[in-house]
Amino acid sequence: MVKAIEATGIAVVHICTIVPISQTVGANRIVPAVAIPHPLGDPTKSHEEEKMIRRAILEKALEALKTPITEQTVFN
Amino acid sequence: MKLELMKVIVKSVSWGDRTEILKDGTLKVNKKELLEHVSDEENLKSIDAEIALPGESVRITPVKDAIQPRYKVEGGGQVFPGMVSDVESVGEGKTIVLEGAAVITCGRIVGFQEGIVDMSGKGAEYTPFSKTCNVVLVFEPKEGIEVYAYEKACRLAGLKAAMYLAKCVHEAGVTPDKTETFEIPPFARSMKEFPGLPKVAYLYMLQTQGLLHDTYVYGVDAKRILPTIIHPNETMDGAIVSGNCVSACDKNSTYVHQNNPVIRSLYERHGKDINFVGVIITNENVTLADKRRSSSFAVKIAKMFGVDGVVISEEGFGNPDADLIMNCRRAEKAGVKTVLITDEYAGRDGASQSLADAAQEADAVVTAGNANMIIDLSPMEKVIGFTEYVNVIAGGFDGSLKPDGSIEVELQAITGATCELGFNKLGAETW
Repeated sequence: MVKAIEATGIAVVHICTIVPISQTVGANRIVPAVAIPHPLGDPTKSHEEEKMIRRAILEKALEALKTPITEQTVFN
Repeated sequence: MKLELMKVIVKSVSWGDRTEILKDGTLKVNKKELLEHVSDEENLKSIDAEIALPGESVRITPVKDAIQPRYKVEGGGQVFPGMVSDVESVGEGKTIVLEGAAVITCGRIVGFQEGIVDMSGKGAEYTPFSKTCNVVLVFEPKEGIEVYAYEKACRLAGLKAAMYLAKCVHEAGVTPDKTETFEIPPFARSMKEFPGLPKVAYLYMLQTQGLLHDTYVYGVDAKRILPTIIHPNETMDGAIVSGNCVSACDKNSTYVHQNNPVIRSLYERHGKDINFVGVIITNENVTLADKRRSSSFAVKIAKMFGVDGVVISEEGFGNPDADLIMNCRRAEKAGVKTVLITDEYAGRDGASQSLADAAQEADAVVTAGNANMIIDLSPMEKVIGFTEYVNVIAGGFDGSLKPDGSIEVELQAITGATCELGFNKLGAETW
């Protein structure tokens, strides 16, 4: 889906737990997520902490979206 | 370490007054005693037991696990250590094996990834447990029980039943039909043996995604281990136990862990064309850091062994494909050759990408088949368990179960159909 959307000229950030798979399939802007069953949260944390985690990943993704790149880039 | 498997061939199973094996190979089981032995009133509303034999018009579903009856009669520890026995190490001495028999656990669904075992017809060709004489435990959970407690109750009851059967046969007095001996020497000796032959280790990946996808080693939840060394004989005594609800086709049932064909093959070729030095177990966790840590650590152990090659087997698909490829890539970069064993989810027409990840280094791969293939299962005269779950188990879909009792499902739903340890018939050749 990442590649199909990008093919229309719209930049995409792939938020993904397993970065190597994202690299293999050819995503260009990759933001690491938390874990496969809970990519944007963490059930061991409080709701407030989870919200912080989500916000941090989202802000990183938005930053990645506006960052010019020339090759596959992982935004750690 | 030396382990002798004393195999008693079971040709049939029937109920009787005493649990023992008859001269004609019939396993008699005292049903009342068996059920009393495995009862768990705290977690289970009921447990029943049924018999399912090869060739019968019988369907068992939803199947959770299959276990081979074994019991240690000599050597330290007891089968299924840390689960239903003490935690002492196993793998030495003598173990009674009821070859040809299996305990199958079945009952109201725990997770959606449970399977179907048909004892005859087309489906029977795809599951190894259509060829075993099965004692099937059927569970009903207590109302309101938490799903993890229910899974554990089913798992322990299955292990207890398997141990009970072999123990009774031993205590009733039995002469084994054949004895197989498995022995590899300590590292100090094995490393010097067979100069000229390549040293090979087995990297044994265990399903540990959590959320009911779990495997236990000596009772330890394997998602919490660092990769470690295990003697191949320990697996034969049930040191590794399945607790997982991974897709039925490629979950490694406890039976398969007890009879791992990769370990068997490495033993068979030991001293002939390879020097089999040991087994490294590793996990398949859900965060990238966990995957990198385990992969790095497992390959480090392989390097410490100084092996020329590793055979790597996967359990499950999708997420673990990343672990498989990571293990492969790291090992190859470290100069250790790899062969991978996996299965495929290549779509119903087989035309899609087979694994979620890939690498150029993965140039020697064995497949156990395409789990997305559709299979039609004819109605059976008898159903053990509950067919109403067929539409919701992995591989099933809305409409899988037809009004006449026939079933259209992906191979994914057949227990053991694409086993990534090779405990199945499917395979492929490159022409």
